[in-house]
Amino acid sequence: MPKHIVRLLALIVVVAIIVFSAKQFLIPDSFYRYGHYRGDAVVEVASKIPKLQGSDSCQKCHQKEYDVWMAGIHRKATRNNEVQGVVYKYGPGCEVCHTGPAGNHPSKDPMPLSVEDKITSITHPEIKVHPANVSGRKLMLTSQEMRGVCLNCHEKMHGRPLEQKQIEIASHSGEEVCTNCHNPHSPRIVYANLSTGKRGDAKAGKVIAESCVGCHGDTGMSAASAFPNLAGQHFDFLVDSLKSFKSGKRVNETMSPMVEDLNEADIRNVAAYFSKFSCGVTHGDKEKAALGKAKADNCKACHSTGGLYGTGAAGVSGNPSWPNLAGQNAEYLFNTLKAYQDGSRVHPVMTSIAKTLSEDDIDHLAAYYASMKCK
Amino acid sequence: MTTQDKAIKSQKVPMSRRGFLGLLGKGAACTGALTCTGAAIGSALANEPKRGFQQNDKQLAESINNPPDIPEYNWNDHQWAIGVDTERCIGCLRCMEACKMENSVQMDAFHHRTWVERYTYLEGSNTAIVDSQADPKNVENAGSETTFRFDNRYKDVKVDKSFFVPKLCNQCEHPSCVQVCPTGATFKAKDGPVLIDTTYCIGCQYCVQACPYGARSFNEVRGVAEKCNWCYHRITKGLNPACVEVCPTGTRIFGDRNDPESPVSLFIKNNHVQVLKPEMGNSPNVFYKGTDKEVV
Repeated sequence: MPKHIVRLLALIVVVAIIVFSAKQFLIPDSFYRYGHYRGDAVVEVASKIPKLQGSDSCQKCHQKEYDVWMAGIHRKATRNNEVQGVVYKYGPGCEVCHTGPAGNHPSKDPMPLSVEDKITSITHPEIKVHPANVSGRKLMLTSQEMRGVCLNCHEKMHGRPLEQKQIEIASHSGEEVCTNCHNPHSPRIVYANLSTGKRGDAKAGKVIAESCVGCHGDTGMSAASAFPNLAGQHFDFLVDSLKSFKSGKRVNETMSPMVEDLNEADIRNVAAYFSKFSCGVTHGDKEKAALGKAKADNCKACHSTGGLYGTGAAGVSGNPSWPNLAGQNAEYLFNTLKAYQDGSRVHPVMTSIAKTLSEDDIDHLAAYYASMKCK
Repeated sequence: MTTQDKAIKSQKVPMSRRGFLGLLGKGAACTGALTCTGAAIGSALANEPKRGFQQNDKQLAESINNPPDIPEYNWNDHQWAIGVDTERCIGCLRCMEACKMENSVQMDAFHHRTWVERYTYLEGSNTAIVDSQADPKNVENAGSETTFRFDNRYKDVKVDKSFFVPKLCNQCEHPSCVQVCPTGATFKAKDGPVLIDTTYCIGCQYCVQACPYGARSFNEVRGVAEKCNWCYHRITKGLNPACVEVCPTGTRIFGDRNDPESPVSLFIKNNHVQVLKPEMGNSPNVFYKGTDKEVV
């Protein structure tokens, strides 16, 4: 074979050896493991540390806010609760409104690096900001910012589904800040949260109350046991009751004509007037009260401060929209339950509960709640 | 017998009618048998483990016997999918913000892994006007680089119909982006998501152009392509992707298609769903409910 051909072949062989050994050397072991890519990359991507922690992680320190949220419409957001019987989504959690993920809050330290973070930082040294640290993170919101956050979902806008609660800003609140009336953690309106101006003026209420004191007493302790005590009753409940008399939802031959001329402000004022008094104790029959206590389990979920767990002061409702029963006149309580039974008063929950009670039960329960302390 | 008849009789008949019909019958029987065998083979294939994208036999065996070492997770057990119920979307863009923070995406309206589009039909019009958070008016309305808002621009005009459509990577069964990648820096994981190996990405942006859904962008800071991977680091830990986690209306539904009771399986089973641009042949894994034909 001619010399130059041999040299050429030798050269080709050498180059081939170099190329193949370089390939062996440069291609990582895991490259063709699962396909035409580096198999180890899967683990690296998966090793990144999650930053969104979920609402439950907030519970440890912010139990109070968490409880309010849990009970409120923002968690339940009922229309989203179910898809074909499977609960798959709740309403907005903590990290939706509180600008971004909790990350490693409350720690001030940067989040630990995962493999992927490390690799990106090393290969691209110009990244100055730690990739795991969120810029512009601000967990607390000022009330003005809060307005923007609320409107982001609740401003009336074409394209939003009808089920979404939406407001026309101008007619709803104008420039008012949302949190003046709404608790953002549980935004369905609760009158107890309203500032005094909105809640009603007790002094103005006193003038209107002049026509009430004949039956309900100067300080809300009624003149006869057939009339309810109003002293210390929840403001919300009083407003709701007066409104339902006015709308005809509740009918009483004395009360209905009394409230006819009251406007919204009057109702609030007079409710404010009576709710500010502290209630007294009426004394129910002790023997009956002891029997009534055993029957009161069904009432506790709503008519005790502990709510559903049935704990806390009995007869003092945790929800201001429900009436306090403690210290109420036994005769009035008796008549009310009877009214629910015979249908002359209607309430979605109370009607069905009252129908399970015998006349003796009602008598005992009335005595039990009449003998409870209302504070 | 006429001469003509003789002539006919003397001719060699290639095939009698009887013979022909008999053959036809045999042929039909054979074809039927073949089809049945074929179907049998097909069903046998369906029971075989699902092959990853462009995997050969050895790699398939490797991905089953020796899966990536992710704690308490085996990629052979899952087939992830996302459902999008556009009838619920309110266009709050919380998904986009959460995604950016979770994945350290650049904080402006133009770089994103997931985004939301608004389709609006003005009164009497048959064409949709489309805008997204990157529209200049929406950016101006948001007021800052790090917040994202839709403005209320159609407040005073008559609108026939309007709806929001969240978009994200479809994690296609036949991803065009993976096919064009020259370095093997992007690939389809066995459980569905298409991932990026940032150390191997050379920033050539072929994949950005190849994606028919515009789901990819280029991260100039890192010099690599950027895409949604359904928060692979979260789903392998049993969490929802960030956008699903924060969506306040339940528009996005995430789950495992291997589990017939998972939210996404139920969503697909119980609703009329469609995928975007089915004619591209990518067979996406994001299933939309309630979109118009204009949505692509």
